[in-house]
Amino acid sequence: MKNFTKIKLLAFAMMFPFLGFSQNQAGQENSTYFSNALFLTLLVIIIVLAIVIVAFSSAFKNIADSNFLINKYKSKKPEDATKIGKITILVLLLSSISMMAQDNSAIQVKSTDLIGGLDPFTFYFMLFVIFVELLAMYLMFYQFNFLVKSKFDSTSDITKKAESKLMMTLTDAVAVEDEESILLDHDYDGIKELDNNLPPWWKYGFYLTIIVGVIYLINFHVLGTGDLQGKEYEKEMAQAKIDVDEFMKTSANNVDENTVKLITDASEIKSGKEIFIANCAACHGKLGEGTVGPNLTDEYWVHGGSVKDIFKTIKYGWVEKGMKSWKEDLSPIQIAQVTSFIKTLIGTNPPNAKPPLGDLYTETTANISTDSTSVLKDSLNIQVKVDSLSTKK
Amino acid sequence: MELQKFQYDNKTVKMFAYATILWGLVGMLVGLIAAIQMYLPSVNLSLPYTTFGRIRPLHTNAVIFAFVGNGIFMGVYYSLQRLLKARMFSDLLSKIHFWGWQIIIVLAAVTLVLGKTTGKEYAELEWPIDILITLVWVVFGWNMFGTIIRRRERHLYVAIWFYIATFVTVAMLHIVNSIEIPVSFWKSYPVYAGVQDALVQWWYGHNAVAFFLTTPYLGMMYYFLPKIAQRPVYSYRLSIIHFWALIFLYIWAGPHHLLYTSVPDWAQSLGVVFSIMLIAPSWGGMINGLLTLRGAWDRVRDNVALKFLVVAVTAYGMATFEGPMLSLKSVSAIAHYTDWIVAHVHVGALGWNGFMTFGILYWLIPRLFQTKLYSERLANMHFWIGTLGIVIYAVPMYWAGFMQSSMWKDFTPEGQLKWQFLDTVTKMIPFYIARSIGGTLFLTGAIMMTYNLIKTIKIGTFLEIEEDEAPALTGEYQSHSKDHWHRWIERKPIQLMIISLVVVAIGGLVEFVPVFLVKSNIPTIASVKPYTPLELEGRDIYIREGCYTCHSQMIRPFRSETARYGEYSKAGEFVYDHPFQWGSKRTGPDLARIGGKYPDSWHYNHMLDPTSMAPGSIMPQYPWLLEDQLDGNSTMAKIKAMKRLGVPYPDGFEKIAMQEMEKQAKEITENLKKDGIETLADREIVALIAYLQRLGKDIKAEVLKAEK
Repeated sequence: MKNFTKIKLLAFAMMFPFLGFSQNQAGQENSTYFSNALFLTLLVIIIVLAIVIVAFSSAFKNIADSNFLINKYKSKKPEDATKIGKITILVLLLSSISMMAQDNSAIQVKSTDLIGGLDPFTFYFMLFVIFVELLAMYLMFYQFNFLVKSKFDSTSDITKKAESKLMMTLTDAVAVEDEESILLDHDYDGIKELDNNLPPWWKYGFYLTIIVGVIYLINFHVLGTGDLQGKEYEKEMAQAKIDVDEFMKTSANNVDENTVKLITDASEIKSGKEIFIANCAACHGKLGEGTVGPNLTDEYWVHGGSVKDIFKTIKYGWVEKGMKSWKEDLSPIQIAQVTSFIKTLIGTNPPNAKPPLGDLYTETTANISTDSTSVLKDSLNIQVKVDSLSTKK
Repeated sequence: MELQKFQYDNKTVKMFAYATILWGLVGMLVGLIAAIQMYLPSVNLSLPYTTFGRIRPLHTNAVIFAFVGNGIFMGVYYSLQRLLKARMFSDLLSKIHFWGWQIIIVLAAVTLVLGKTTGKEYAELEWPIDILITLVWVVFGWNMFGTIIRRRERHLYVAIWFYIATFVTVAMLHIVNSIEIPVSFWKSYPVYAGVQDALVQWWYGHNAVAFFLTTPYLGMMYYFLPKIAQRPVYSYRLSIIHFWALIFLYIWAGPHHLLYTSVPDWAQSLGVVFSIMLIAPSWGGMINGLLTLRGAWDRVRDNVALKFLVVAVTAYGMATFEGPMLSLKSVSAIAHYTDWIVAHVHVGALGWNGFMTFGILYWLIPRLFQTKLYSERLANMHFWIGTLGIVIYAVPMYWAGFMQSSMWKDFTPEGQLKWQFLDTVTKMIPFYIARSIGGTLFLTGAIMMTYNLIKTIKIGTFLEIEEDEAPALTGEYQSHSKDHWHRWIERKPIQLMIISLVVVAIGGLVEFVPVFLVKSNIPTIASVKPYTPLELEGRDIYIREGCYTCHSQMIRPFRSETARYGEYSKAGEFVYDHPFQWGSKRTGPDLARIGGKYPDSWHYNHMLDPTSMAPGSIMPQYPWLLEDQLDGNSTMAKIKAMKRLGVPYPDGFEKIAMQEMEKQAKEITENLKKDGIETLADREIVALIAYLQRLGKDIKAEVLKAEK
């Protein structure tokens, strides 16, 4: 039994680096690991396999410790077996430590060569750990199988009595040894039938589901106390409106087509560009040259070229012309950012530009040349910037 | 009593076994190809015949009707004869049954890749094949009942109850769901539309699972499991109760595939409630199987066939517990349309049907060839590689489904959707890759089995003539006073069939009759108008290309869906949809209100190369739609058929249909021209654009009017 405790301890020791590792990661800002599904999947697999190994090795120990085997093999084989267990766990322990050690450096890897959002080192390392665990399981299983086989082969009647009391109570069954008493006289091609009672948990479970079913129908269709889907939807929408309104009260995000101003902050223009590439480029081209949608780099606008007009076009769309409304997809500040980015495209003359459409609009024709300087200094604009940073988290 | 000598027909069993193996490999391979296309759409080689939309139905049909179908007949033909102590009724019928079924499979494979489909999941085959299926099924029933009548065993064993229930119920489901009006030899429209069609279709679809994938396999479990384990069946009373409860309750559960759709609330609730009540009857089968092994678990360790059977029964238990959980509305809200469902069905298909079939084959083939299995070791390897394959298939799909659904439902605090649909698709790709690895492992196992069985067949000699003897049934049965009351029906096969039919008919009737007769179940919407001829042709292209295999047309009443797709779908919108196209999976976004969302040119470019309009999209390219000429020869017949189905086209409309079609096509081509796209008005793409631009628009007009 001493050995077994050691294994247990080792196993726990092995788990610690994982915990440390996870905290390490979670503590970092913009941690991507724990929002990365692949990482989580691999981690869960690793942990589950580790648990299986531990459980297995304990079962293994029990069998190995039994008098029967000690007598039979003079504890030759069990030594081997525990050795495998120990070595595996040591390897795992080491590997998980080294994994933790490696992680800090791994974070700096450029996003270009990621595998499923993970840097290659972490990815392959986790695969390696899984491989080691599988190998360990295979070895243990092989040994286990050998032991069990030899154990049961020599005392085959052990199995018949192996049924636990718990099982007997749950199934309300007649014991295997006494089953002659409930053997029916049916014989179909040698297949006979017993007349065991219905397992009580099954029978009462069945009754329970019927009762649940009746209550369900009464709740929704007789008393009408449950909300059917139409009502449920209304409630969901009402709650969402309350939540959003509540949030907007305290958020500087709350720009609309009347209050929107041109943004010049480089980082926000960059966000605008990212939004543009992700959502707009499909129809307007990566450089705004226009493909399905109109060219955005010239000074001609189908629905007006002022910041407010562009904002409005994005927000509500011109559905009949094929421009969808983006207000469910982009937040007001995001629309303002992409609007401002579009304004930077004017005059860039990209290749393959689509011919101009709509009416001429320039900031000068609109006679707001003085405005453009004031926009830069606009206090609201600055405020938006500051707030958006603070709410970004 | 005098013993009669007779011979078993092993030849038919052998042929069905061969067909099972062959179609199993084909079905799994096609599935693997479809799985790979989920992340490498170009694997279709840009051929129409190999695109996902066409080979997905090929995969499901091949696995269900070819692999499992032949597996059923193999198991039934083997066990029925032995349980009844009689040779199959007619060798000719057996032959017709076998070859008829194989012809159906080949016809199905050819027509599905050619795009001849009804567009109803798991019932895609067109009307001539439907008729053929009915005929062959009748031959099967005739042969089975002939054998039953000539039996030398007084009582019918539980396996045969399941076979009989399978026979009558599948016949009922197939006939009712396939009522359609032919337009041409390979084109028909179902008589049902919209909500009614959905209800009938999923009554069929759900019970295809119940009575094609479950009851016959339960019957086979009841024969092969005790036979291989050499143990008595655990509880006769459990058999009785779970049999009758199962077949009665299963039928009702169809609407759980339609939760939160436009199907009336009461029908949805029936689907939920009956699914919950199904847990115990389903588990009754599992318990009776597993507890039969009491005291024989050591045999499981040594017998590879039993290993397969045990995992099969366990997988059955898992899938039938998960099914009712998925039927709860709150769980369905998360899982529906996602890969979670794909994982769920594959636990059933790979675990229950696959492993059961493999187990039976490993036991049966050596018996038929009077030898030992060529390699126990290889079979054991198959067992482990197959189990691993199931796990690697299912776990990533569960994860993917849950993750994608959460992303669909994510809102920012400002109230915007957090993710574009495409973002949620690209996140799925690692999971799709993992899934195809699981599938590869499973297929590898099946190939190993095939090799092993071929080797076994080569060493052995086929037992063509297997003799047995039993006394003939004479005179009336003298019942013992101790007899269980259920023994009566076990002596009366015809009554058993009729009572089964009554039991399984009830659920469907209760659900259908009100939906068909009571108007308030489908409130009409005045602004919903029939499709124009061009839109109708476009819709048939949509069906032909199997768009419904990846796109739904049913917006559920959730904030996350109305924000993304628009107003939730109403029952009245689908009254002219023969067939309905609600779909069951959203690999791509919902299309119920795609009309008017993008310009015509967007659709044109998107069909030519989806990634040009949606970078990172995994939708295949459809270049042939841009080149192929629209076949307008049957447009008139289609309008006529629709009129017969009650779609209110004006009198004589079919005569001006062609002109109407040309007119609308011209408008679209002119529209495309404005965006610099030159195309002829008679190309298929034009019709498809017309249809897509129509989707969901009728009710938009209504809403606008109401607002004004």
